[in-house]
Amino acid sequence: MDTLKLDLENYRELLKQYIETQDESSLYQVEQFSKMSMQQKISPEEIVNAHIHALRKLYPELPAEVNTSFDFLLESMISYGLAYQEFQALREKQLELKSEISVAASMQQTLLSTVRPQVKGLDIGAVSVPANQMNGDYYHFVTDKNETLGIAIADVIGKGIPAALAMSMIKYSMDSFPESQRNPSSILGNLNRVVERNVDPSMFVTMFYGLYNPSREVFEYSSAGHEPGFYYNASIDKFEEIKTKGLLLGVTNDATYDQFEIKINNNDMIILLTDGVTECRIGDRFIEREEVLSVIKQYTHLPAQEAVEQVYKHFERLQDFQLRDDFTLIIIRKEV
Amino acid sequence: MDFQSCVNIQKEWDIVGARQLGRDRAKSIGFGTVDQARIATAISELARNIYLYAGTGKICFETIDEMSQKGIRIIATDNGPGIRDISQVMEDGYSTSGGLGAGLPGVKRLMDQFDIVSNPGKGTEIKTIKWLR
Amino acid sequence: MNINLEVEVVNQESSALVSLTGEIDAYTAPKLKDALLPLTKREGYLVEVNLDKVTYMDSTGLGVFVGALKSTKEHNSQLKLVQLQDRVLRLFEITGLDSIITIDSTVRGGN
Repeated sequence: MDTLKLDLENYRELLKQYIETQDESSLYQVEQFSKMSMQQKISPEEIVNAHIHALRKLYPELPAEVNTSFDFLLESMISYGLAYQEFQALREKQLELKSEISVAASMQQTLLSTVRPQVKGLDIGAVSVPANQMNGDYYHFVTDKNETLGIAIADVIGKGIPAALAMSMIKYSMDSFPESQRNPSSILGNLNRVVERNVDPSMFVTMFYGLYNPSREVFEYSSAGHEPGFYYNASIDKFEEIKTKGLLLGVTNDATYDQFEIKINNNDMIILLTDGVTECRIGDRFIEREEVLSVIKQYTHLPAQEAVEQVYKHFERLQDFQLRDDFTLIIIRKEV
Repeated sequence: MDFQSCVNIQKEWDIVGARQLGRDRAKSIGFGTVDQARIATAISELARNIYLYAGTGKICFETIDEMSQKGIRIIATDNGPGIRDISQVMEDGYSTSGGLGAGLPGVKRLMDQFDIVSNPGKGTEIKTIKWLR
Repeated sequence: MNINLEVEVVNQESSALVSLTGEIDAYTAPKLKDALLPLTKREGYLVEVNLDKVTYMDSTGLGVFVGALKSTKEHNSQLKLVQLQDRVLRLFEITGLDSIITIDSTVRGGN
C-alpha cells in the first residue's frame, strides 16, 4: 500500500474546482480519479488523507477540530478498505474456481458421453441440457450384438458437482454388470445396491431402464421412482403414460423392481424425460403434464432428433431462457 | 530506542491501551498519519483475537533501526488453545467473528511482513513488521 | 430467491403436530430438517406433518422426509404425512416413497 501513488495535487485541484463551481464536471472527474485509484489499489483511508492534506493547503485557517474530525474518519475507513481488498481477492478466486469447474464439466462430457446409436428401424433423438455447468441428468444407450437397444435415463436428486460425481459412479457400475444381468429389473436392483452403499445418504437417484428387442418388437422396462414417460400408439393416434412403480435408488438396500413390456408397432413412439421438463414454471404456476404433452405433440411429426431439439427450445423460451433443473428428453420412433 | 514495551491483554479495555502504545511508538519512529492508523488497526485486530479466543496474552512493540531501514515490529503472544488449521484462518472469506475484511488476512494486508506459529494446546505467536518508507 | 417456509410445531402428550406453509426446496429444506429431526428422536412419539399449505416441494424436500423416516426407525417413533396437495403427493407416488412413508391421502390439501 503505497501513499506515493496517490496524486495529492490532482485531488486538491479537483476539490478546489468543485468548491468553486459545484459543477457536475468536477464530480465526473473525481469519479474517474476514484476508478484509477482503485485500479492502483489505493484504499479509502488514503483518499481521506488526501482530503485532509487538501483542506490544510486550501484553508489553513480551518478550525483544528475539523482536521481532527477527519483523522477520526480516516480510522473508520480502514476496515472498509480491508473489506474491499478481501472482496477483490475472493473475486479472483471465484474466477479460478469457475474455470476449474469448466474443466470438470468438459471432462464429465467426455467420460459420460454417449453416442446416439444407429439402430435399423429406429429413429432416435436425444437432448440433455444442464441447468448449470455440470449435468445431474444422465442418459445412456447400449447396443449389443443381438441388436437390442438398452436405454437408461436417470436424474440425480441434488444438483451440481456432487450429482455429477454420483452419475459417473453409476455409469461405471452399469458398464461392469455381467451380460446375464442385463434385463431392466436386474440392472435397477444392482444399481440400487451400489447407490445405497456409496452415495451420500441425502442423495437419491431416479432411473428408468428400457430394453428394446427388435426381433420381438417389444420394449421391456423398469423404473426406480423416475418421472413417467409416454408411449404413442400410432394405430389409435393416442399418447399414454408409461405407468410403472418402483422405489428410487439408494433408499433401502433390498428394493426390487417390477418389469413391464409394451409391444411396439410401426410409427409408435417412446418418449422419455426427466423432471426438468415437467417442473417447468410458466409465470407463477407450474406446467401441467397435459401441457407438456401438448408441447411435445407439436413437434413429433419431425425427425426424432429435430423434434427433441425443438421441444427443448420451446421450453427454454417458456422459462425465459433460464432452466431451473437439468432437462433431458429422448424420443424413439419405430420406422416403417 | 531499542527497548521492547508490552501490554498485557486481559480485558477488552486493554485493547485500547495496546492501540495507544503502538500508535505512539509508530509516531515516534516517524510513521505518517495513515500508517499510524493502519498499525493501530493491526494491533487492535491482534489484541482482539487474544481477548476473544485466548483469554490472556500480550502485545509487544520493538523499534527496528538498521542501516538501510527503520520500522516497527509487533509481537502478539498468548497461551490460548492455539490454531488447528493455520491456512484456513489465513484464507479470505473465513471469519469466526462474522465480520468482513479483517481477521489475520487483514493484519497481513495492513503490515509488510507477517509470521505466525501456533499449535493446538500450545498457544500462538504472531510477529509482524511494518517498514518506514 | 426469497421463498419462505413457515414451520409451526404443537407438542402434545405423545405426539407433535407440525404445520408447514410455503415451499420446500434447497433453500428452505434446512429449516424443515432442523425442526423435524429432533422431534423424531423422541421414543414412542408420533410426528404428524400437515402439508395442506405446502404449494411446492422438490427433491431436497424428499431428502428431508427420508432422513426423518430413517430417524423414526432408529428411535422407535412414527412419521405420518397428511393433507398433501396433489402435486406434492404425486412426487411421493412417482418416487415410490408413498410405500415406505405413511401418507394419509384421504383428505387432500390446498384449495
